[in-house]
Amino acid sequence: MTSYLQLSNITKSYGHFTALDNVSLSVDKGEFVTFLGPSGSGKTTTLMIIAGFEKASGGAVEIGGQSISQLAPHQRNIGIVFQNYALFPHKTAVENVYFPLQMRGVNRSQGLRRAEDMLSLVGLKGFGHRHPKELSGGQQQRVALARALVFEPSLLLLDEPLGALDKNLREQMQIEIKRIQRSLGVTTIFVTHDQSEAMSMSDRIVVFEKGRIEQAAAPLDIYHRPRTAFVATFIGESNLIPATITNAMTKTADNPTLGPFDYAGGEALSDGQNVTLLIRPEHIKLSRNPIEGRKNVRMKVETIVNYGDNALVIGRAGELSMRVRVLGADVVIIKEGEECCISWTPEAVFVITK
Amino acid sequence: MNTFMRWAGFIVVLFIAAPLVIVVPMSLSNASSLQFPPPGYWLGYYRAYFTDPNWLVPTWNSILIATATTILTMALVVPATFALVRHRFRGKGFADLMMLMPMAVPHIVMAIGYYSYFGQLKLVHTHLGVILAHTCLSVPIAFLVLSANLKGFDRNLERAAQSLGASPTRTFLHITLPILRPGLIISSLFAFIQSFDETVVAIFISGRDAETLPRKMFDSIRQEADPVIAVISTLLFFAVLIGIAAPYFVGALRSRVPKPSRSAGAH
Repeated sequence: MTSYLQLSNITKSYGHFTALDNVSLSVDKGEFVTFLGPSGSGKTTTLMIIAGFEKASGGAVEIGGQSISQLAPHQRNIGIVFQNYALFPHKTAVENVYFPLQMRGVNRSQGLRRAEDMLSLVGLKGFGHRHPKELSGGQQQRVALARALVFEPSLLLLDEPLGALDKNLREQMQIEIKRIQRSLGVTTIFVTHDQSEAMSMSDRIVVFEKGRIEQAAAPLDIYHRPRTAFVATFIGESNLIPATITNAMTKTADNPTLGPFDYAGGEALSDGQNVTLLIRPEHIKLSRNPIEGRKNVRMKVETIVNYGDNALVIGRAGELSMRVRVLGADVVIIKEGEECCISWTPEAVFVITK
Repeated sequence: MNTFMRWAGFIVVLFIAAPLVIVVPMSLSNASSLQFPPPGYWLGYYRAYFTDPNWLVPTWNSILIATATTILTMALVVPATFALVRHRFRGKGFADLMMLMPMAVPHIVMAIGYYSYFGQLKLVHTHLGVILAHTCLSVPIAFLVLSANLKGFDRNLERAAQSLGASPTRTFLHITLPILRPGLIISSLFAFIQSFDETVVAIFISGRDAETLPRKMFDSIRQEADPVIAVISTLLFFAVLIGIAAPYFVGALRSRVPKPSRSAGAH
């Protein structure tokens, strides 16, 4: 598949402040890409540049091989769902959805029929005559989605659209958006700061930090093979251990507190290189006594956070604060203040060089 | 304490409402000049008002001047408000201040200014002169109302419209204007009332030719205290009452009758 949306060296500066620094990205047709990052990381600015509401200081945006950098927002044929939905309050739901068709010269009866069809697709059959204020947050969200899709846009942009919804509704809408996106096959860019949302919905996650792209990869790749320490901490819970490579051939590293241990993952490394080791809390096992064939470390348990089905055990191993995820049934074997043993296999250790 | 507050509230309401209510029986009085309580009742002064050109001409003048003032005010205020609310530029603070100035300066000071200044321009005693002066006085009020509305306007609505294919002009016509309509109506209404109600400047510059209703009433109460004044006051009072009450009634009617789906045929 060839790249459909192409961002090349996008730069944006406000005076001396650089909001975006050389952002380049290719998105395939039909792909669902999430821009993930803390606020102020540049993800929304990138979205606004694609939509045409912000002008880039440098670089180019192309869709299907055509540069759109010089086009006004209304000429770009891009559907957008805003965080606050931005439904037109003086129009009914069906008139909102008909609006983009009206702007394209579709006649009223045919346009309204298409708008009704779109409302059915998003699960709002029979709600067309209501005004936005007569709809719930989730329903408004669906109308906004229908309005952004009805004119068959070349790209769909979603700017933190689930931020205003409560947790249950948010999960329901995640599934719903994914279903609609798949059934229409529209190329989609979704902006969020919620990592679980990004994990569950995306084909690919692009992690932004300080105006740059930290990593762009499939969700599980991002989770298991983060390129930088920032990505590792931003997505999921993590134990980050500073270490030195002692032997790159036999894949061993050393940390002053934990002593020598083996690792499995990692790229080209050299002896003596300072690195960060990532061990996800769910890859660590907690036991009373050391387990044969694993790297074992003594840990003093400080806090146990119970979630019911699982628990997070936070403890101290020498200088290091360690987090261990255990199943809810297993947490009864230890108490806060006790000493225990934590262990892992070389496969659980991933080496981060940045 | 509670009872005391309630009585205090009642007395305040009474004092505010009494002058409004007292004109109604006075307008039905058969006395030859303003008098309360009236010695007897008849409708003669209503007939007098609607047939006497001495009253009808000023009424027309007032309506004409207030309408022209409203149009001119809105033509100035709408673009000015957009510029001052949405853009930052050098001298914006000064421009804001100048917009509101006519409201801070006492009308009598403005009136003397217009009298001498318009005199040289041969605008005293003309409709145009009164319209220009009233526009200056209406601008700050219309500006305050409209800018409050525009500040609360969600600009994402315009962005959404543009992303959906509407050019800036069509965005303004289809989205911005209809959503701001209540604010535009209210600020126009305030501009109209400001002009219709204005007395001080009108006394100085309207003269015989462009005499407005408040000026005529003022002259009349000084000279003869004609009970027609009570008739006009009563009519104005009820006109305002209807104006205020109408939106509530329309709103109540609308919410009671379920709106039929406009797209009923599209299923």
